[in-house]
Amino acid sequence: MAVIRGREKKSGGEIFTASMADIVFLLIVFFVLTYNTEVDRTQVDLPETWVRKNIPKKAAVISISSPETGEIIRVSTGEEMSLPVSTNEEVITFASTVVAQDPAKEFIIKADEGVHYEKVDAVLDALKQSKVKIIFLLSEQRTVDG
Amino acid sequence: MGVFKIKKREIESEIFTGSMADISFLLIIYFMVTSVFSATRGLDFALPEDNNETPEIKQEDSIDVYVQPGGDLQLDGEPMAQEQIADKLLPYIEETLRENPKKPVILRTDPDATYGNMIYVFDILRTPIEDGGIKIETISIPTQREISNIWTMLGVAQ
Repeated sequence: MAVIRGREKKSGGEIFTASMADIVFLLIVFFVLTYNTEVDRTQVDLPETWVRKNIPKKAAVISISSPETGEIIRVSTGEEMSLPVSTNEEVITFASTVVAQDPAKEFIIKADEGVHYEKVDAVLDALKQSKVKIIFLLSEQRTVDG
Repeated sequence: MGVFKIKKREIESEIFTGSMADISFLLIIYFMVTSVFSATRGLDFALPEDNNETPEIKQEDSIDVYVQPGGDLQLDGEPMAQEQIADKLLPYIEETLRENPKKPVILRTDPDATYGNMIYVFDILRTPIEDGGIKIETISIPTQREISNIWTMLGVAQ
């Protein structure tokens, strides 16, 4: 049987890229607006709570890492990267300095949920001695399924 | 005098946009790598204003919530298992506040308990009581040093 071979017509496969620039710029604008420099990058498992309030952006941060990583305390003014401290006196000195510059400065405690309360108690005591007025305990949202 | 007219050559002016895509993607990658979606909410508490007046301390005038290692409670001296806290803590406080709405709640935590144990109870205490407009006016979280000072003032040996 004779086979008739027709000349195949090549159809040019093209991806439509005209809107790519729009998408790219939209993404850039999104990232520029939501960009947030995190002053403390300590990895912690935050406790979960039902009640949560917004925390001011430039609040000073005191973080306590998990027991597995030695419950290391780090402090940050909220504008500079956090630095580790080794004694409670250093926390008091840090908090007193921050409060002296801005008496209304809020403080955030960012602690792992497995941290011994003794460590948190020492930090709280240091903040109280430094005349800090408002403290926020950073938490994740608790959900019904726990 | 003869005037010579020179035919002007039109030069096409274009902004080179060939590298725009590269720059845009570079910016996107930079922002994606460096931006973080950090937790920005939590429980707040205000510390009392510093005044020189020494408050009168009456041990029986407060609701004592003591968080033990493991998460169990001692509520005014009575034990309460961790599983019961969600159901029984607020009703007890509500009943007590009905008699005396000004009663402060003192939240103490054993040094060997975890921060998670304390936050769990504090969160429940901060949950609004729905019935009858009853509200916990004051939740105090004394530190170990303050507790020691109070015991010393009361003359109680620890």
